[in-house]
Amino acid sequence: MALHGEYKTPGGKLVVVDLTVQNGHLSNVAVSGDFFLEPPEALDNIVAALEGASSQANETELARLIEASLPEGAELIGFDAASVAVAVRRAVTDGSPRERA
Amino acid sequence: MSGDANKSAWELGPRADEFRARWLDHDWQLVRGGPLPAEMHMALDEVLTYAVGRGERKPTLRIWEWDTNAVILGRFQSVRNEVDPEGAARHNVNVVRRITGGGAMFTEPQNAITYSLYAPESLVKGMSFIDSYAFMDDWVLQALRGMGVEAVYKPINDISSSQGKIGGAAQTRRGGAVLHHVMAAYDMNPATMLEVLRIGREKLSDKGSVSANKRVTPLREQTQMSREAVLDRLVSTFDELYELSPGSLTAEEVEAAEKLAREKFMSDEWLYLLP
Repeated sequence: MALHGEYKTPGGKLVVVDLTVQNGHLSNVAVSGDFFLEPPEALDNIVAALEGASSQANETELARLIEASLPEGAELIGFDAASVAVAVRRAVTDGSPRERA
Repeated sequence: MSGDANKSAWELGPRADEFRARWLDHDWQLVRGGPLPAEMHMALDEVLTYAVGRGERKPTLRIWEWDTNAVILGRFQSVRNEVDPEGAARHNVNVVRRITGGGAMFTEPQNAITYSLYAPESLVKGMSFIDSYAFMDDWVLQALRGMGVEAVYKPINDISSSQGKIGGAAQTRRGGAVLHHVMAAYDMNPATMLEVLRIGREKLSDKGSVSANKRVTPLREQTQMSREAVLDRLVSTFDELYELSPGSLTAEEVEAAEKLAREKFMSDEWLYLLP
């Protein structure tokens, strides 16, 4: 089942996570939003870090996974690893299946 | 109106001379052409940024004109989350993805104030990303204040007034250059926007009302000037502050941008990078 979680950062940027949970692991993870990220390819690192993570992982653990995945010198502007982690938790715990486009 | 009244913290602060010198150290050129499709604007931004980074083009201010309605998505936004496909089709909206982050903007040709600055990275050397937004928006705040609009910069990337958000900037550093483009509302049609962009409706359903601090208040509600006159004033303010010479796109740049528009910006692969 497709799950959807959103988190609005204190600065007003939106972080959106879409994923599925398969056998207790995050799968088909997509991270999107109106944040800034340099270099842009660092988004692939973030997604790869979440893919396969335990669906039981808490915010701190998820944020740590994301931080460890970032290339040297990557800059997250308007959001951080913790904001992505919150959106993941929201998707897992109360993410309603997304509305069909 | 006296000069100082329009000045910002940058212009009046202890490092004002240094900041002004950074602008004046660059030999700025204006490119102001006719209407283009959205994908050409996206492609020109990429082509001209790299051309400036390679030193083939002087630092440039490019004013955009549009030939269709468009939604310009931020680099990291999901198409499905932002755009209502039926609404977009009904209003002949050309949906494109830009190379910079930030949020979606819906534009109609006569309602948008859009421009790009391309400069060598030396312009913002040593500045954080956030500081370089404030720095590169400063001249436009001065121009808007000169028109009687109480414009202020709101971190990270908003241009606002006491009446609401006017527009936003987005920036990226590539190939030794910095691209800073701004999309602002001269006028807007909220009903159309709500049919085309999903986000507005989701905010409505979540909170019962559109978030007040992010409410877009177009320039037309804050000045009597025509869109054309606003653009003229932006150009003349930049020229007065930092000197601007007339320029144009080269045939090679146009050709490279047309190819990039076709092969990248019109491709589903790029548009649906985040489906």
